[in-house]
Amino acid sequence: MIMLERFSEKGGFRIVETATVPKKAVMINGLPDVGLVGLLAASHIISSLKLEEVGSLESDVLPPMIVLHGGLPKSPVRIFAGRSLVVLISETAIPVSLLRPLAYDLVEWAQSKSIELVLSLGGMAVANRQDIEAPKVFAAISEKRLESALNGAAEILEEGYIVGAYGLILRRCAQTSVPAITLLTQSYYNHPDPVAAAASLTAVNKILKLNVDVSELLGRGEEIRLRSKDMMNRTQEELAKMNKSHEYDLPPLYG
Amino acid sequence: MAVQDIPIEHGSGWNVAGACIEPLHNLTVAANEVVLTIDLPYVNQQRVKLRCPSNDVLEIYGETTRKITFKDLGAKHRHGEFTCYHARIRMPVPVDESRISTRFKRGVLEVHLPRLK
Repeated sequence: MIMLERFSEKGGFRIVETATVPKKAVMINGLPDVGLVGLLAASHIISSLKLEEVGSLESDVLPPMIVLHGGLPKSPVRIFAGRSLVVLISETAIPVSLLRPLAYDLVEWAQSKSIELVLSLGGMAVANRQDIEAPKVFAAISEKRLESALNGAAEILEEGYIVGAYGLILRRCAQTSVPAITLLTQSYYNHPDPVAAAASLTAVNKILKLNVDVSELLGRGEEIRLRSKDMMNRTQEELAKMNKSHEYDLPPLYG
Repeated sequence: MAVQDIPIEHGSGWNVAGACIEPLHNLTVAANEVVLTIDLPYVNQQRVKLRCPSNDVLEIYGETTRKITFKDLGAKHRHGEFTCYHARIRMPVPVDESRISTRFKRGVLEVHLPRLK
């Protein structure tokens, strides 16, 4: 049953609520990105904490597809909630042309729900990923005061570029005074990386004082990598279109 | 089955006839070499073969430690299984196949291919 349907004024996304969405929650974003870090971590949060599906994102310009879960047709972009968390995941790669409307509509919706923190989980591709046993987590923040909220879980990114949805979400949050942290974990570029997802989730545990067990992510790593292969392939096509390699560039200005 | 006998069937990445799947790979071109990483979950490390049919193509074949079905991966509506990985990867620059070096860690094969001068 649809409880509330919000139509974007910008022709982007409609956010359809099918159950009560808690106010003043923390919103976690797990969109397909480098190494599928955010998607794997957010999906693990949803299953571990048994969060309830509370809504979906719909758009006439998304690829014409649905995903079946439990025999029922669902939007590939869905919202789950519970335990003062709201978690967004997408089971399809979001086309580059939709990333800006997605960022604007999501942040506007987050404001309407009085979201206290937008926490986006992504990967940061590193060439020597094979040599890294414990991937490091970096954080970009929308306002300086959030540095203390990290609880030492991540190192602040002071300079650099963020390409894709998470950069746009962070910027929009900064513009609209919605507190936001983007966690970027060292990962493979286009290999699903459950080890990086576990590192990201460990940082989330520390920041939000959660206790989500990451051992399953690590123990079922091979299965997860194989299951995510096609998703990674499609995501990689979008990453190439958005010029994701720009993140390797050094910013030309100095202070 | 020899590497060269496997028919190439791209698209979904599954070759039902050859019981093979195309692995994810990432290719980086550096000044002196091409670096390739290939994701090979469930592969038997001792049963991975590489060859260069020409100086701009690398072919990989690797057997898995067990038979894997679509059902194992949550797809009940599709039938099929695979027991190996196979890919023929085109190099953006010519490489010297006699000096290829590899290392395998946590199911990811890293291949270094020196560029031909």
